Amino acid sequence: MKLFGGLFSSKSKTEFKRSKKWEGELNKCIRCGYCYELCPLFKTNNWESDTPRGKLLLIYGLITGEIKPSQEIGEKIFQCFYCKNCSDNCSAGVPVTDILSDARADLIEQGFDVIGTVVQVDEDLCSVCGVCIPLCKYEALSIEEDKKDTKKVVVDKIECRGCGLCVSACPAGAITQKEGCEITLPELHAKVTNVLKENKGIKAVIFACNWSLFPGLQLSESPTLLKTPYSIIVSMCSGRVSPELILNAFEEGAWGVMVAGCPPEECDHDGNYKTRRRLVLLKNVLKELNIEPERINLEWFSTGESGKLSKSIDDYIKKLEKLGPIKLEINKKIGG
Amino acid sequence: MNIDIDKLRNIVGKENVSDDIADLYVYASDASVHHSLPSVIVRPKTIDHVQKIMKYANENIIPVVPRGAGSGTSGHTVPIDGGIILDMKLMNRIIEISPQDMLVRVEPGVVDDDLNRALKPYGLFYPPAPASSRIATVGGEIAANASGVRSVKYGATRDYVLGMKVVLANGDLVNLGSNTRVHSAGYQLERLIVGSEGTLGVVVEATMGIVPIPKYRCLGVANFENLEEAGDAISEIISSGSQPSMLELMDKVGIIAVNKAMDLNLPEVGAIVMFEADGNVKSAVDFEMKKMKEICEKHKGSDIEMSYDIAERTRLFSGRKKLFASLSKYKEGIICTDLADDMGVPNSKISQTAQKIHEIAEKNNVIMAVYGHCGSGVIHTKIMLDPKKKSQWKDAEKVVDELYEYVHSVGGVTSAEHGIGLSKAPAWKKARADIIPMMKSIKKALDPNNILNPHKLMDAPDDWVGATNLRYKVGA
Repeated sequence: MKLFGGLFSSKSKTEFKRSKKWEGELNKCIRCGYCYELCPLFKTNNWESDTPRGKLLLIYGLITGEIKPSQEIGEKIFQCFYCKNCSDNCSAGVPVTDILSDARADLIEQGFDVIGTVVQVDEDLCSVCGVCIPLCKYEALSIEEDKKDTKKVVVDKIECRGCGLCVSACPAGAITQKEGCEITLPELHAKVTNVLKENKGIKAVIFACNWSLFPGLQLSESPTLLKTPYSIIVSMCSGRVSPELILNAFEEGAWGVMVAGCPPEECDHDGNYKTRRRLVLLKNVLKELNIEPERINLEWFSTGESGKLSKSIDDYIKKLEKLGPIKLEINKKIGG
Repeated sequence: MNIDIDKLRNIVGKENVSDDIADLYVYASDASVHHSLPSVIVRPKTIDHVQKIMKYANENIIPVVPRGAGSGTSGHTVPIDGGIILDMKLMNRIIEISPQDMLVRVEPGVVDDDLNRALKPYGLFYPPAPASSRIATVGGEIAANASGVRSVKYGATRDYVLGMKVVLANGDLVNLGSNTRVHSAGYQLERLIVGSEGTLGVVVEATMGIVPIPKYRCLGVANFENLEEAGDAISEIISSGSQPSMLELMDKVGIIAVNKAMDLNLPEVGAIVMFEADGNVKSAVDFEMKKMKEICEKHKGSDIEMSYDIAERTRLFSGRKKLFASLSKYKEGIICTDLADDMGVPNSKISQTAQKIHEIAEKNNVIMAVYGHCGSGVIHTKIMLDPKKKSQWKDAEKVVDELYEYVHSVGGVTSAEHGIGLSKAPAWKKARADIIPMMKSIKKALDPNNILNPHKLMDAPDDWVGATNLRYKVGA
């Protein structure tokens, strides 16, 4: 079914001046699709419009006037974690995330107020304590004052990478992300619970950072008949793994939890430092509860070190098998 | 066209139906140059879903286009008349792996590489993997009779299909083929579905043969000053009785492109030939490699590297693996298009066909890369052009016509492993006018209302450029 008939013709008067400069790069995309096997969003939602090549086609449609901007198209363009697995692996060299950022800016200029994977701040809950501000390596959060000298935390929707570090750090729970991309705390909790309830043989939950390890973890997302004593859950940065998630895993019967993050100096968000501090504190809490602290294991892996990850998991599972399950009365203590 | 979206939502759940332009616009295209909007996207998860959707579509004469990864290069899944895109990716379970029977049963949305990862611990593999195996689904591979780099030894998809469950246009479910390696019980209907490009039925389950992973694999790479010698070396390797498990060609255009895209620093010679042998006995693999090396040397192949090491083999092959996408980096302003991209020619015609391709390209103001699984007679080309110039599309039309005329004149075939779809249909119909009535009769018998992927293969328009929108903004 042709949209307008014949070859492309530009009919929209809407301006996409930033995006238009990318027309040549957009033409280079041959739509081979090699980008989407690496895309965590596609792996979660499985729609063609979630793929990097799909988003590029939408932007192409917008700049050529073939399609009109809409809230739904905006949502797709604002859904990206900027892990750059797509552009780093595009042999045609299409700078996917740079193009997305310009399309975001164009849409914002046109008055579109979309959410995507960008964080939102609930002004009623936010005390403007400022804890979140220095956390963001991309300076996507700032404190602004209005004319009445009222302060509030604002989000730069172009710069926000959707890593969710600020979400897990906000003491008031005022920062959230939209559900639907398996990144919110309730969604991650549900994932942990489902994994452990559906497979009683699972001994360990492994939280693996999307940035350092996702390309090597295709199998974990794929259907397979192989049963493993662990389940890998991909998180957007190790800094996103909050203590509640780990305790939740213990409550649901996990013998241990491993967090696999980027090595120091290599994290795109500096979330690994926060993870390290957080897990030291959590291990101390476990000691108080008479739970062996080594049930929590933090290890660093660089991009593509999936072989090293496999070995570390095997070693960790052996350790857990020596420790055995957490005793029931301790479970009760965690549950309160 | 009136489509009851609520009815479809009732069948598969509202989360698996979309008629939003954000989805329609991206499902309008695959990896081809074509673009045409569907009316709705539906994602079935069970055989029952597919049956209900087909029954509804048949009763209401609504086109249905089954779709896997959308990696087809000739517009197979581009819905000319709109209608329903049946996105099969959610039917992605590996149902059974049977090492005893040496077969797997899979749903059509299973990704080729995922299947091979699951098979690896059993020491088994599913060989026909196309270069796009990282995303290509088994269902799509069946629809196109896909093959790949190892098909020179292991064959194409059709050689592994033992049986399948297919939902017909009217919603009926049929079991075709068997669970045995061979059968002689009536028409080989499972083979009829292979290569049918979604026009005869929707594959909802496939039983495929699998083979053991060989213990040894050795890859060699040889540089050639000119394309002619490289082509002749390939032809001689095949006619000498050698048994390569891979025999690939990459011309200078391809070498320059991958050097630019991946900083590989390959020598920019006339052509590179990659040859591989595999087996369980190392001395046998050594024997094959030595023989192929000597043939390459005889044809002035130089700087020959050979390795059993997997890391080294991956390095040597990395340029070829990503060549397709790299071609857009060849020259600024010129992009890579998938047109006339997978001809098959007899073994004796490889060298002259490769040279002819460059001759036709030069004559018509476009650049063409020549590469492919030439050991099995598959020659891949990509037409590289300025997509904004209308005149370049005219040039491309001429190239496609001339190229196919030549290929058919030497006894070759329009498509060796990607399928006909839209853009290859005019040339193929011209060359195979004799079989078109038979194909139309089969189609009419199985899909009397012509709802399954209409206007493809024998029913495709004669003007591939005008058949749909092109997915590029073309100027005057």
